Amino acid sequence: MKGVKWLLTVLFILALVVTGCAKAAPTPAPQPEQKPAEKPAAKTMTVVLGFTASQTGKYAKESKEQVQGIQLWLKDLEKAGGLKLPDGTVVKFETKSYDDESTKERVQQLYTKLITEDKAEFLISPYSSGLTAAAAVISEQYGKVMITTGAASDSIYKQGYQKVYQIYTPASRYLTGAVDALKAWDPNAKKIAVVYEKTKFATSVAKAAKAYAEKQGFEVVLFEGYEKDTTDFGPFINKIEAAKPDAIIGGGHFQDGSTFAKQLYEKKTPVKMVAILVAPAVPEFAELGDAAVGIIGPSQWESLAKYSPDSAKAAGVSWFGPTIDEFVSGYKAAYGYEPGYHAAGGYAAGLVLQKAIMDAGSIDADAVKAALDKMDMMIFFGHIKFDTGEYHGLQIGHDMVYIQWQKKDGKVVREIVWPEAAKTAEPVYPLR
Amino acid sequence: MRWLRDPSFWVSVLIVALAGAWPLVTGSASGREDMSLILMFVILASSLNIVLGYTGYVNFGHIVFFGLGGYIGFYLISQMGWHLIPAAIAGAIVTALFAAVLGAIILRLRGAYFALATIGVNEAVRALIVNWDALGGAVGMTMNFKRYQAYGGPMNALWVAYGLMIVVALLSVITSYGVRTSKFGLGLLAIREDEDAALVLGIAAPKAKTIAFVLSAIFPALAGALFFFKNGNIEPGDAFRLHMSVEGIVMIMLGGYGTVLGPIVGAATYERLRGYLLTSPIFKDLQLAFAGVLLLLIIIFVPSGLVGWLRNRFPKVRRVLA
Repeated sequence: MKGVKWLLTVLFILALVVTGCAKAAPTPAPQPEQKPAEKPAAKTMTVVLGFTASQTGKYAKESKEQVQGIQLWLKDLEKAGGLKLPDGTVVKFETKSYDDESTKERVQQLYTKLITEDKAEFLISPYSSGLTAAAAVISEQYGKVMITTGAASDSIYKQGYQKVYQIYTPASRYLTGAVDALKAWDPNAKKIAVVYEKTKFATSVAKAAKAYAEKQGFEVVLFEGYEKDTTDFGPFINKIEAAKPDAIIGGGHFQDGSTFAKQLYEKKTPVKMVAILVAPAVPEFAELGDAAVGIIGPSQWESLAKYSPDSAKAAGVSWFGPTIDEFVSGYKAAYGYEPGYHAAGGYAAGLVLQKAIMDAGSIDADAVKAALDKMDMMIFFGHIKFDTGEYHGLQIGHDMVYIQWQKKDGKVVREIVWPEAAKTAEPVYPLR
Repeated sequence: MRWLRDPSFWVSVLIVALAGAWPLVTGSASGREDMSLILMFVILASSLNIVLGYTGYVNFGHIVFFGLGGYIGFYLISQMGWHLIPAAIAGAIVTALFAAVLGAIILRLRGAYFALATIGVNEAVRALIVNWDALGGAVGMTMNFKRYQAYGGPMNALWVAYGLMIVVALLSVITSYGVRTSKFGLGLLAIREDEDAALVLGIAAPKAKTIAFVLSAIFPALAGALFFFKNGNIEPGDAFRLHMSVEGIVMIMLGGYGTVLGPIVGAATYERLRGYLLTSPIFKDLQLAFAGVLLLLIIIFVPSGLVGWLRNRFPKVRRVLA
């Protein structure tokens, strides 16, 4: 009998530990309460905007910028007195966000919490394609609109989602502009070597670039991946030299990309153009000094870019939101330094959501979805337009800009060299 | 059945079953996500405990089974159109075979050498998948959202995956109990205490170790298939994350090494603690630092884990806490 009593006591305590703790987190509120339904009398309504931030883990740096971008947009919106719908209602946003630790397990758990407990009406994605893919499964099943930023992968939009919209130019178009540039600058260039890091992002970029280059009549003389964390590119450079390409494209992330650029410089590899991912777009790349000169990199956005109400008119689309200068000075005033493209992407995600709600005239998810499907506008981030066909939600308006590090008055500076319309300097070509 | 009359069996099974049923009763999706993670960690920790706690072999590569089962299951579902259940089982079978071959080789190593080899295995499998284009290579694979229709729509699919997660968790706990209380399990404990003495006593150590290794591989493989099904995509970095192996070891140490209940309590406590700190307004910015300090204190002052401490402190509870 004593055993049974013990059993019951211990069982009770342990069941409390396991399930009871779940109650420590706020329990789901009984349905109605604060649901901001469109009451005719209410002139203001508060809408919850949910997202996770990677405050810890491998994406902490990029995610912080992205979140600062979102927060700046909210601040600007608040300053403007909130978002006004055509019927006079003012929509105010309240944000809810949690740390996803840069892991997928957390993302699904937290997005479910954001939707079911915090009653988020709209969502913004976490940083990175992998985390966004996990979040999209949740947002889609609850029929919530999610604007993704910091997520360039194409594969998310091949999964048949209907309410997930991409701000970034997809990975498949990251390096295609470099191929176009090469074709325009040098009609005699025929051979390209693609050397890339074997990670999800870099591999999908490299594969798409290879296919595109071949379609443009180039011969891909080398297509080779390297393991992540590679520090010695000697064997790859030997292979490149043997294949005698006109241009090298590829790369991966910051560390490997800058090492690769440095070793290419040290070995004086005779190529006319080098375009690599991510690393050149990071300001610290300038620390390579002479090795950085001439290296081209794609960037989602540059503060030097020339998107403006005028260029919008020239392109035949409407302009919305602040100008590039207004965004940059606002960001500098708030955080004390120049924004990079992660921050710009965060701000742009908010702006796109704002415009869609205004166009829809309500916060109903289906109406906002319809507005997003129709959207074709230019903002400081560039042209925004979404695929509404097979790859629903894929970004098809926005283009990459290509920067090149150049030497001016003994200093290494970045200039936009492609596309023609956005360029701030003539390219250094051929490199060597 | 002797098991059915043993209170400690019921304690372990009922805790998992009751906790697992909680979100089913309340219908809370958020509760389901919380509990789904806890159950997944219970599976990882309980199965790891068979090798680490009972046999005394520190396996840093436990997550390789999770990743492999996940990959095979996901491939069969997304590319071959299989149903989740047969796909998960197929993943578990292949993973078990892999563990049998691998175990026969690396279980000859002892101590630090074994631990190092397991890290190597994890990295080797990850590198293999990264270079295997049929499995998506470095890019990984995605699953079309429409696939969930076969399970009654995406909402329902997650409940189905959750229900299966409860079943797998129960199976892994029952297996862990079965091993712990069997003659085979005593053999494993003997190997843990002194492998050479065990050999002399007539325990077929190589065979016993391999069986333990295979048993510990099956459940994470099933959990992996369920987890990535729920996720809708898979990539090498997420499937073979060494970090998660280490977390599994922490959970076992926290709950009580070599006990049936320990990994359950450890996994739940660890995960709830992290989950709570993560979303609590006070701690959410320094949750990792806080969790780290707390874990350190526990490991310094309660080295035998929560369940181990209870068993030592109150000998009477040994009957109910296995």
